[in-house]
Amino acid sequence: MSTQTAAWLVLAMPLAGTLIIALGGRILTPRMAGWIGTSAIAAAFAFAVVTLVKLQGLGEEERHVASSLWDLANAGGLRVSLGIYVDPLSVLMILVVTGVSALIHLYSVGYMSSDEGYTRFFAYLNFFVFSMLLLVLAGNLILLIVGWAFVGAASYMLISYWYRRTTATAAGIKAFVINVIGDIGLVLGTFFIVRQMGVVDFGPLFEGAHSEFAKNDPSLVAGMILILVGAFAKSAQVPLHTWLPDAMEGPTPVSSLIHAATMVTAGVYLIARLHPLFEWAPTAATVGAIVGALTLLIAGTIGLTVTDLKRVIAYSTMSQIGLMIMGVCAAAYVGGLFHLMTHAFFKALLFMAAGSVISAMAGQQSLDRMRGLRKAMPFTFGCFIAGGLALSAFPLMSGFFSKDALLFEVGQRGGGWIVFYVIGYIGSVMTVLYTWRMLYRAFWGDPCPEAVELEGGHLHHAHEHTNPANGEVEDTEVGFPGAEHHIAERTWQMKVAMSALAVLSVLAGLIYLPFGITDTFEKFLEPTFADSIVTHPANDGLEVFGVILTSVLAIGLIAVAYRIWAVGEGRATAWQQRLPLLHRLFVNKWYFDELLDLLFVRPIAWFGRFSRDSFERVVIDGALVGGTSGIVRAGSSAVRALQTGLLRGYAGLVMVGLAAVLLYFLIRAA
Amino acid sequence: MNINWFLIVSALMFALGAIGVLVRRNPLVVLLCLELMLNAGNLALLGFSRMWGDGDGQIFAIVVMVVAACEVAIGLGIVVALYRRRLPIDVDELRELAG
Amino acid sequence: MTSVLASVKGPEIDWAAFSPLLGLFGGALIVLMVGLSSPRVIRAHGVPALTIAAFGATIGLLIWEWNEQVSLIQDALILDRLTILITLLVCVAGIASTLLAWREQAAREIAHGEFFSLLLIAAGGMVVLAASRNLVTTFVGLELLSLPLYILCASRLRSERSLESGLKYLIVGSVGSATLLYGFAMLYGATGETDYAGILTQVVKEGLMGDALFLAAIGMTIVGLAFKASLAPFHQWTPDVYEGAPTPVTAFMSVATKAAALGVIVRLFFTALLPGVDDWRPAWIAIAVISILVGNVGALGQRSLKRMLAFSSIAQAGYLLVGVVVVTELGAEAVVLYLVVYLLANLAAFAVITVRERETGSDAIGSLRGLGARSPILAGAMTLAMLSLAGIPATAGFIGKFRLIEAAADGGYTWLGIVIVVGSMISLAYYLPVVAAMWRPDTEPGVDPATGRAVLAGGAQEAEAERGGWEATLVAAVMGAAILVFGIVPQPLFELVGDVLKGFGTG
Repeated sequence: MSTQTAAWLVLAMPLAGTLIIALGGRILTPRMAGWIGTSAIAAAFAFAVVTLVKLQGLGEEERHVASSLWDLANAGGLRVSLGIYVDPLSVLMILVVTGVSALIHLYSVGYMSSDEGYTRFFAYLNFFVFSMLLLVLAGNLILLIVGWAFVGAASYMLISYWYRRTTATAAGIKAFVINVIGDIGLVLGTFFIVRQMGVVDFGPLFEGAHSEFAKNDPSLVAGMILILVGAFAKSAQVPLHTWLPDAMEGPTPVSSLIHAATMVTAGVYLIARLHPLFEWAPTAATVGAIVGALTLLIAGTIGLTVTDLKRVIAYSTMSQIGLMIMGVCAAAYVGGLFHLMTHAFFKALLFMAAGSVISAMAGQQSLDRMRGLRKAMPFTFGCFIAGGLALSAFPLMSGFFSKDALLFEVGQRGGGWIVFYVIGYIGSVMTVLYTWRMLYRAFWGDPCPEAVELEGGHLHHAHEHTNPANGEVEDTEVGFPGAEHHIAERTWQMKVAMSALAVLSVLAGLIYLPFGITDTFEKFLEPTFADSIVTHPANDGLEVFGVILTSVLAIGLIAVAYRIWAVGEGRATAWQQRLPLLHRLFVNKWYFDELLDLLFVRPIAWFGRFSRDSFERVVIDGALVGGTSGIVRAGSSAVRALQTGLLRGYAGLVMVGLAAVLLYFLIRAA
Repeated sequence: MNINWFLIVSALMFALGAIGVLVRRNPLVVLLCLELMLNAGNLALLGFSRMWGDGDGQIFAIVVMVVAACEVAIGLGIVVALYRRRLPIDVDELRELAG
Repeated sequence: MTSVLASVKGPEIDWAAFSPLLGLFGGALIVLMVGLSSPRVIRAHGVPALTIAAFGATIGLLIWEWNEQVSLIQDALILDRLTILITLLVCVAGIASTLLAWREQAAREIAHGEFFSLLLIAAGGMVVLAASRNLVTTFVGLELLSLPLYILCASRLRSERSLESGLKYLIVGSVGSATLLYGFAMLYGATGETDYAGILTQVVKEGLMGDALFLAAIGMTIVGLAFKASLAPFHQWTPDVYEGAPTPVTAFMSVATKAAALGVIVRLFFTALLPGVDDWRPAWIAIAVISILVGNVGALGQRSLKRMLAFSSIAQAGYLLVGVVVVTELGAEAVVLYLVVYLLANLAAFAVITVRERETGSDAIGSLRGLGARSPILAGAMTLAMLSLAGIPATAGFIGKFRLIEAAADGGYTWLGIVIVVGSMISLAYYLPVVAAMWRPDTEPGVDPATGRAVLAGGAQEAEAERGGWEATLVAAVMGAAILVFGIVPQPLFELVGDVLKGFGTG
């Protein structure tokens, strides 16, 4: 089997899965549909591995293979073919996408098993994986746009999957509209590039860029910034990020697959894929890095204030993607993609664990209601800790090495890029704080009633199923969301999927260690980025500094978070009575807490609230989204008010129109 | 005679027809006003035909007369159908379709 | 007497090139005659079958003449690639509408022979309009297409809404015709010519570009043609007429009239009025932008599908104009390509509406509820139609819109491309709810989704399926499949509309 054949088969598997599940929906039992979907993705993963092996078998110079099935269109001197492009970058992406997807499918088989729309769910999920693979394997810009749009549509369907929830359909529409804005940016950007270059295939596009455009050519910069708009919308970057927290209305496996591991990283992939063009338009790259850095900070502060478990993880995702966007825009490709990969593992894991917690809480998502779940769900707790440690870059976890590699590569560029290096570390501070705030609040402390019930061996079920977002009573009779809940402790599929990801979250860092100890990952990606014109001068001092700083920040801030959130006031009173000698210390601790609160937590929390309330609600939802739809709505009523049905009124408008046209022409004549 | 007189009369006819369509409520009168508008065009055609001294405009005008007759016939047919359905013969009452 | 007749020499007619028109008008006569026969089965089934045969024969004759460029009857008409393509579109729309009208109440009410022969005459008028190279034939073609449509709109004689739509269309349409006629009269007055080629030479020779009479003539011509293409602000008849007319007639009108009107706009403004391009371009641009906005905005929140599609067709006409205002070959190709794409989507949509209207008696969006579960073919076709009209990738609509935007950018009007994109974004807000309604399960079984009243128990389902008719389902399925196929493999479409200006203005 050649590299191309294997890559085409990767693409064919989920498509076949979608078709079988969608067309055979009535014949298949839901359970079969779930397993067919899972095995289709698993097969795709197998073929992705074959592709990897075959590609590595080629010489380093030949590791980019283009293959096309037939010409889609051949007009106006522009040839567009249905073709794919296989190189280390796309192979990395298909491995991550199929691998994580396969595990999430497996998880869903258990997690969604009481849902009546089970078959539909797997048809959508397979379709999503197909679209995502089309996006990353596309051999030209047009096919990439098609994949891009498919991914948006699939995301819309999955977010609105529980379409009886009004909040879910609203969130789906919001996601779709913002994604369409991004699609438009991408299409127009492509237009700028293709108009000048006359080719759409990646190979010739990259080779010709330097001769067709001058460096920082205005039309290239404009095109790349428009393409960045597409990347921002898909990757939930400021100011096009508001759909992502709302998208948490979808089932948790969807959040895990689409809104953590795969779709939202498409923007990062796009920038890495088009890096020869971005490097030739440094202004656009800088814009991208600035937006990424802004998102990193804004999303991080908001993550510190929200109390919905899934939304904390969602804001964390935004912030981490911001970090990656900043990285790849700053030419830290290897680090950025390494972080993309490890982030896919640990963030998918965190979402899965969150799904398990939410099930144990009978659909309740608020952190205020969770407490002391540690003993009740030891396995979920373990996974949460593994994911949390990786996310907060605890030494020797995968996230530690990837974040370190990313920021080190940014710092290596020196000059003005140092600003981004510093911002990256400020972002890290917040990452650790919000991660552990979430962990301490949910798992530490006195067990909440649901946890006590679970410790007693019974999974809590609410008397009345309500929508966690607005408290509306839900009709579980129709079966979606299903009335039953499933937790990792009792469902082996969820357990297997989470274990695999937990192992990866801990160990995946080993393939790219600092100081050149292992460089498998860098060597693997080298052929793709060999044409990069940005150099990374060696800087051992900075590398040592980075490793130490990351470690210190992670360990120190986990301790700080412990003081703030785990050892709360109620706890303190209890200890105060039991251990009177420590009383003074706790008084001091209280004072320290207040100080910390005043100096550190409050300003950030205030800024977070400010960002959420003013920035999002007023500026983005109000002015950008609300204002436009308001104008459209007003226009609609105006047009319909004119449509009176009164014949003479119609004739009157015609006369007015005629007079206007005549007046125009007579003025032209004069 | 100066071409301008033809044009002025024809423009007046056109405007009168248009005003009639706007203000009259009886579909029969509206149809008459439409005839007036078409005949304004005819008059202009004949005037120009005279000015250029060729027959094209006159032929055009004859064709238009045929068309106008068809139009009125159809209009009358629909009005009769409305009448048979005992619907009001008033264009302002035709407001079933709106919005 | 004889000597006078002898001195008048009839014009040379190339009968072969004239044959597609003869196919339509001859067919109309035969259909009218056969419609007089007494056996009911011949009237109800023989007549529509003959109508399809006439359209089919015309398509055959077109293919025979595919590569010809012939000027007919002393340059009154021309057979070139544009004529052939528009005629092809009209005939396809005619066949589809005939299939939709096969069981139509309206055809029974005004007699089958009349109904279908009027359809053929209207199609003939459209061909004359698209092929005309002379102001007189243009006007005749326009009236030949409009007059039968006035009758067809009012053809449900027992329905108040149908009569109302017919009268409204007649009155507002006649105002448009009168305006156009006045414009033509002024054009003749300014140049002394009635054929396009003569007007062009005269304008260039006499330097009439800034002449008040010439410009006023262009203005009135624009208004008259904007009427027929239902462009805002001359669009107001469209929603009312589309809603009131029998659905097969609406389907035919929405597609074929638009094709013919755009055909004549391209021909008239690309040849005879080309010297005035700097003057008329801003006017058309304004009309295009207003149409895109008014159409898209007006379609929001409509409950009636036909009304929604009427507003949508106003917006689509606005998109089409963008291809005209750039005045390039690419623009003309984009217009014809978009016409093809628009035809597929609209016919699929109207086919589904026809079926649902017969089953539920309503064309409300709510009447589509649960269609996905009961009839996946219809629901699938409707979904594809809506997505194609919205211009979602992998449907033919995307290809069409992409080509229009490309033409706009190529002609230096990138901002008009952006207007198209913005319009399409708004349009998602009314196309997607239709899709959503179809794939949503019925609220309660046994309740008529459109009215909320309980349907009569027992046997109703089979009767409904019978009334819906397989012909309409066939149309929906074929059009839906074409949307998908051309969306994925658009090359044949590009080849079809390539060289649209071939032979343009020769002879």
